[in-house]
Amino acid sequence: MRVRLNPAFLFLIPALTLILVFYVVPLILSVYIGFTPLQRWNLNRMGSITAYNFERLFYMMFHDPDFGKVIRTTIVFTAFTLAINVLGGLGLGLALYLMDEVLSLPYRILWLLPRMTPVAVYSLLWYYFFLGGEEGTLNSILLRLGVINEPLSWGTDPRLLPETAWVILILVNGFVGVSFGMIVFYSAFHSIPREQVVAARVDGATTSQIVRHVLIPQVRWHIVYVTVWQLLSLLTTFAHIFLLVEWGAVHRWWGSTWALYVFNVAFKTYEQGLAAAAATVLVIIGAILGLVALRILKFKEMMVEPKGEI
Amino acid sequence: MVEVRLEKVTKKFGRVIAVNKVDLVFEDGKFTVLLGPSGSGKSTLLYLVAGIYRPTSGKIFFDDKDVTNLPPRERNVGLVFQNYALYPHMTVYDNIAFPLRLRKEPPEKIDSKVHEVAKLLRIEELLDRFPSQLSGGQQQRVALARALVKEPSVLLLDEPLSNLDALLRLTIRAELKKLQQKLGITAIHVTHDQAEAMSMADKIAVIDQGTLQQVGTPEEVYLKPRNLFVATFIGNPPANTLTGSVQTVDGTVFVEVGSARYQLTEEVSKIVREAGVEKLVVAFRPEHAKIVESPLVDPEGDLVLEGDVYVVEPLGRENIVTLIVAGMPIKVVTPPDVKPHSSSKVYIVVPRNRVMLFDVETGLNIEFLIREIHQKIPD
Ligand SMILES: Nc1ncnc2c1ncn2[C@@H]1O[C@H](COP(=O)(O)OP(=O)(O)OP(=O)(O)O)[C@@H](O)[C@H]1O
Ligand SMILES: [Mg+2]
Repeated sequence: MRVRLNPAFLFLIPALTLILVFYVVPLILSVYIGFTPLQRWNLNRMGSITAYNFERLFYMMFHDPDFGKVIRTTIVFTAFTLAINVLGGLGLGLALYLMDEVLSLPYRILWLLPRMTPVAVYSLLWYYFFLGGEEGTLNSILLRLGVINEPLSWGTDPRLLPETAWVILILVNGFVGVSFGMIVFYSAFHSIPREQVVAARVDGATTSQIVRHVLIPQVRWHIVYVTVWQLLSLLTTFAHIFLLVEWGAVHRWWGSTWALYVFNVAFKTYEQGLAAAAATVLVIIGAILGLVALRILKFKEMMVEPKGEI
Repeated sequence: MVEVRLEKVTKKFGRVIAVNKVDLVFEDGKFTVLLGPSGSGKSTLLYLVAGIYRPTSGKIFFDDKDVTNLPPRERNVGLVFQNYALYPHMTVYDNIAFPLRLRKEPPEKIDSKVHEVAKLLRIEELLDRFPSQLSGGQQQRVALARALVKEPSVLLLDEPLSNLDALLRLTIRAELKKLQQKLGITAIHVTHDQAEAMSMADKIAVIDQGTLQQVGTPEEVYLKPRNLFVATFIGNPPANTLTGSVQTVDGTVFVEVGSARYQLTEEVSKIVREAGVEKLVVAFRPEHAKIVESPLVDPEGDLVLEGDVYVVEPLGRENIVTLIVAGMPIKVVTPPDVKPHSSSKVYIVVPRNRVMLFDVETGLNIEFLIREIHQKIPD
């Protein structure tokens, strides 16, 4: 018997090829490299298989103070930025929904600006804001107000670390990420029939009761989506952080996340094997956290078919 | 229960005048239907009563209490929407209980009230379901239950039947009317379906472009439409209209429509002469006309029109005959055995007391014109 292929499969081949070449192969390759002592692109070393990189990573977690800082930064950065992205996005989306349409449009554009601005330009704005000298925006404001007597190096001053470096990272990324949640939640609120809000009002609900009992419960699935999506992108984001570290706006270790660390190990110290191992661990952590988030937020429950006839 | 009274209520949205100086009384315990075409301001009027909108000017009273500036919460109204607006994330039980929970009523009281109203609307076995698991008719009942559970003083219904199929609509129409009578609640029902309005209403208020056209019982609105809009909006098929010119021969005043002459009464003649009216619209309802083969010898002053049969539509219980009179299509409802041949020449006879005359300029029924003129100039 011959296996008959569904002709629809033909149409999927281009997309599947792309996924295979640019995602599956690099993924497998990356995991594989993690098990080789590859260094300085010396491909001859790729032959031998070893778990050394993972052992070293594990050892570093507990004994390398710099790597320890990176891990703590990653946890704090991800947790707080995620909270800002989801809760801030929800709050903004809600505010926009309750606001007059005339006001809401310019407001939406304002919040989208950080996302529309090129990464380097946007990061540069923050760089100048937190700049160490008297010409730094924050310093000059605080000096004028008399809050501080001398300019501070906000991201690097050992007296202020690590919190200030973390705040800088969280602010810079929070403002970019918050617009994603805002757009998703704003459109989600708008897809709820207006009559439901009117009905609740007639039934005597205050705005806050409408928000709690009518609006928020109906965007639960959007909250799950934004949370998981932002969690995974925060674990891997590094463009803004890379520039801030590179320009010396934040401390080298207190301002680095795991993703940036992978990049630095691969392309600065040329330990590709170690970098690949670190990347693999990050992917695994991301997958686990993502699943846990879905579980906590009861994703499955939402995907089941409705019971009974419609 | 309360009487709802609107005094010169106007609502503007920017430049759009959605409701224009409406004076209207919704009688206590009566079923009033707001009838009008799409965009005429029916929903806006309802929302004004509910307190969702504040009027731009004018006042709203519930009995003697001025509620113009009260929020919806303090008006105690129940509202049902065309799309039902049930909360999809709550069960039927929670949907119905929601207004009571907002009032912070004790749980036992909420429970007994929910079951009571569910029993009234026969939806007790649906209480555990979600709205997505209900049929349109069931959702409609739940929406009604949610509105009634608060024991509102006014029940507002915004086209609640228009999402149902034709057959179900007829059933629920009757049920809704019966329920309203049983509860004795003041009800305001919005619809653009004139048949629905005729069948349910104690009083019909016809509205067009935000302006009230006529208020009256279904019979009044049907048989004595105040203006051309009401005459042609109500009835299926609506009233026929023909424009004719006013002529005076030997002191007698006629309207000439096509080849026919229709003599006016003394009273109407006087009005026409005084106001210098040159054109009148002659109108009659399709079921008030008769088709005959030859002109009557003594028409007794009835309206007799000559027409060519255009098409006959048999509907079983009756036929609708379309004729061309003076170049205009005219519809006549006939018994099922009257089937004139296409393009044959026949005569349409309308009894004198069924003929309606309208002023071309204002669209006003001449009878009302007389009355309204008398009202304006006392004695
Ligand atoms: N919130 C609003 N903002 C601006 N214009 C509005 C608003 N609500 C209604 N209008 C306008 O007011 C007029 C009356 O609208 P309304 O909804 O009361 O009509 P309706 O009689 O209920 O029509 P339908 O049968 O289609 O529901 C329309 O011209 C509409 O465009
Ligand atoms: Mg409407």
